[in-house]
Amino acid sequence: MLLYAVLIALCLEVVIRLLHLTKDYPVRYVDEFGVEKWVPNQRGFAVTGIRRQHFSEYHINNSGYNSYREFHPTPDQVEIALVGDSFIEGFHQQYTNSIGKKIEQRLKDVEVYEYGYAGYDFADQLHMINTYKETFDLVDYVVLGLKFENDLTRSSYTVVQDRMKLETPLYKTLRQSKLLVYLQNVGTFDAAKSLLSKITSVNNNNKAISKRSSETELQDQYIINFKRLVHTYGYDKQRFTLLLDAAQTPPIFLKYLEDNGFRYLDFSEPLQASKTPTNLIYDMHWNNHGRTLIAELVADFVAENIEK
Amino acid sequence: MVFNSLEFFIFLPVVFILYWFVFKNHLKAQNVLLLIASYVFYGMWDWRFLSLILLSTCVDYGVGLKIDATTVAKQRKRWLWVSVIFNIGLLGCFKYYNFFVDSWIDMFSVFGYELKSTWMLHVVLPVGISFYTFQTMSYSFDVYYKKLKPTSDFLSFAAFVSFFPQLVAGPIERASNLMSQIFNKRTFNYNQMVSGLKLILWGLFKKIVIADAIGPIVDDIFANYNSHSASTLILGVTLFSFQVYGDFSGYSDIAIGTSKLFGIELMSNFKFPNFSRNVAEYWQRWHISLSTWFRHYIYIPLGGSRGSTLKSIRNICIIFLVSGFWHGANWTFIFWGGFHALAFIPVFLLGRNAVYKDTVIAQNSIFPSFTELGQVLLTFVIVTFSRIFFRSASITEAFGFIHRLCTNFTYETYLHPLGYRMMDYYILIILFVVYEYIIRKDERSPFLFTSKVVRFIMYTIVVLAMLLFYDSNVDRSFIYFQF
Repeated sequence: MLLYAVLIALCLEVVIRLLHLTKDYPVRYVDEFGVEKWVPNQRGFAVTGIRRQHFSEYHINNSGYNSYREFHPTPDQVEIALVGDSFIEGFHQQYTNSIGKKIEQRLKDVEVYEYGYAGYDFADQLHMINTYKETFDLVDYVVLGLKFENDLTRSSYTVVQDRMKLETPLYKTLRQSKLLVYLQNVGTFDAAKSLLSKITSVNNNNKAISKRSSETELQDQYIINFKRLVHTYGYDKQRFTLLLDAAQTPPIFLKYLEDNGFRYLDFSEPLQASKTPTNLIYDMHWNNHGRTLIAELVADFVAENIEK
Repeated sequence: MVFNSLEFFIFLPVVFILYWFVFKNHLKAQNVLLLIASYVFYGMWDWRFLSLILLSTCVDYGVGLKIDATTVAKQRKRWLWVSVIFNIGLLGCFKYYNFFVDSWIDMFSVFGYELKSTWMLHVVLPVGISFYTFQTMSYSFDVYYKKLKPTSDFLSFAAFVSFFPQLVAGPIERASNLMSQIFNKRTFNYNQMVSGLKLILWGLFKKIVIADAIGPIVDDIFANYNSHSASTLILGVTLFSFQVYGDFSGYSDIAIGTSKLFGIELMSNFKFPNFSRNVAEYWQRWHISLSTWFRHYIYIPLGGSRGSTLKSIRNICIIFLVSGFWHGANWTFIFWGGFHALAFIPVFLLGRNAVYKDTVIAQNSIFPSFTELGQVLLTFVIVTFSRIFFRSASITEAFGFIHRLCTNFTYETYLHPLGYRMMDYYILIILFVVYEYIIRKDERSPFLFTSKVVRFIMYTIVVLAMLLFYDSNVDRSFIYFQF
């Protein structure tokens, strides 16, 4: 019986590999400047959902980000840098059909550099821009994706160890089994995880209650974090623009931005006005149509500024 | 705790190991373990309702002894009524009370009287109450009809009542079958265990791949039936037919398989009902334990088909209406039962209600004849149509669904609410039907292939299908838990 189970597992491993039912994992690292990103020059496939609902190829360029192009800004060329998390990284899309590529198709003679990395918050973004200052000084427009409730939880940058844990030998070995990766991706282990968290939450319950803050306190704290990050790593109000969903952002923060000359692009309007869905089925990332709308928003904004 | 949960996959091996390795030679200890395990199993859902099981156990235990203690027919009958009134009272209180109050209010409102529903009870329906009350009643009936000697071993009797594999959704065992096994020494049988594991695997497949995978489609179509064309409504109710079959027969297979792991054989609850050649055969193949219960304890005592034709028809109507009402306190189930009675009566009048009792479709051939194929299709259509009542939340909704089905006879391409390819599901259902046809002669051996290689391939396909159709976001509760 045990032999049967092992043989079945082996067969499933083969089938999952043959049909490419699960995603490849690019290798991540922290470079000599302390920036966490992907190891340059990797290729692979990203798969979302059961039965390979979304299948796309990614390409990590020489700079360690998913893009079809290399990043070589020059003073003579107009460049846009898109900095953000998985929405900009776009593993769920064909790398040749990214937001950057769509912007380039709308604006002639403009190069778009996509500095997207899953989990990047505002601290990651500003720290990275600050670290590669020489490169970014040559970039004409920098658009930073910002989700208020997720991206302003800390006031200074440190490497996120939880993400780097995924590069430990144990995780790497486990990822060798595509069957395990598939099971994890489709949520087979969710029950086990929730059971574990239930057990651990019994112990941590009291601590959690004492740490809970009110929404207003949190908002105030996030705004303080924003100010500190801007102060620590610098922020060029002339070239930098935030890309955010105003419908999901507290008015107090929007007012702060407006009062202090921080420009922002609100993508809530075009996405909400769309009659066709703008998100993928399995996760909240933008689908092809959603990416087109974002690209139009950024491209129109840059075109307007070039004209000025 | 439910079969398709992580808790159960931890719970089952623990109980299995204790049962066979720690208490191997102690029947009494094994029964106590089963009792404790069953109470833990049920208590993880809601421990407060364990008191109901315990109460039902105590009453029928006492009633059994009292019935046996006397030879006076009147007194025996009186004690039987104690059991019936108590168990039906439990059902009435927790399951039907609000329905009756509601119907009473509705009736008055027809005549212009507005009554306030202050008499409604705000109670949760205890999971499995319809199943275990019927099982305990079967004990009192069997003792009353002298088919069984009552037991004085309370703990073993309690283990019989609460035996966890079939506690919450059957099969509803007759006391004469299950109790004899509970009271006799069980020996570990490797083949029985393997056979049990195979049934568990097949049951999980039916639950995860068939029922859970098509559940969101059915939910979507029934929730928005007003905006769909007839083609989509037909698709919805057809898929619901497979969903409810996969869900309930999957549960039964897991229950029977789990029971086998403890050396106890439960009765079959499903015998490929989708291949029935008339409605009578369908009821010999669908939810067999309930049909058997009704036949033995209601239909036959009422006179069965021994009296006049009119009396027989009356008995058939009673059985189907009671069966419908057993499923739930809603007019939809009563209509569903009534519809089946109407479909059954012509078969009965033509004397064809028992002609397919011991055979299956294509009994001696590979393929069915055209006649058989036509019969199967017709039966499937009738049964599937009746499921509109079964699935709808109210009788108004059911008739609205039927009205839409009849008046909006157009075709539309249906898109999965979560964006999956619908073709996957069509292929899945076709392959499932074909496979069930192949194994149609033995419902207890879903992997009955002589070749080890073929068996291995089937196991792999079944597990792969589970991985391909498993969706962690889908509601995985069993439909029959609500009954």
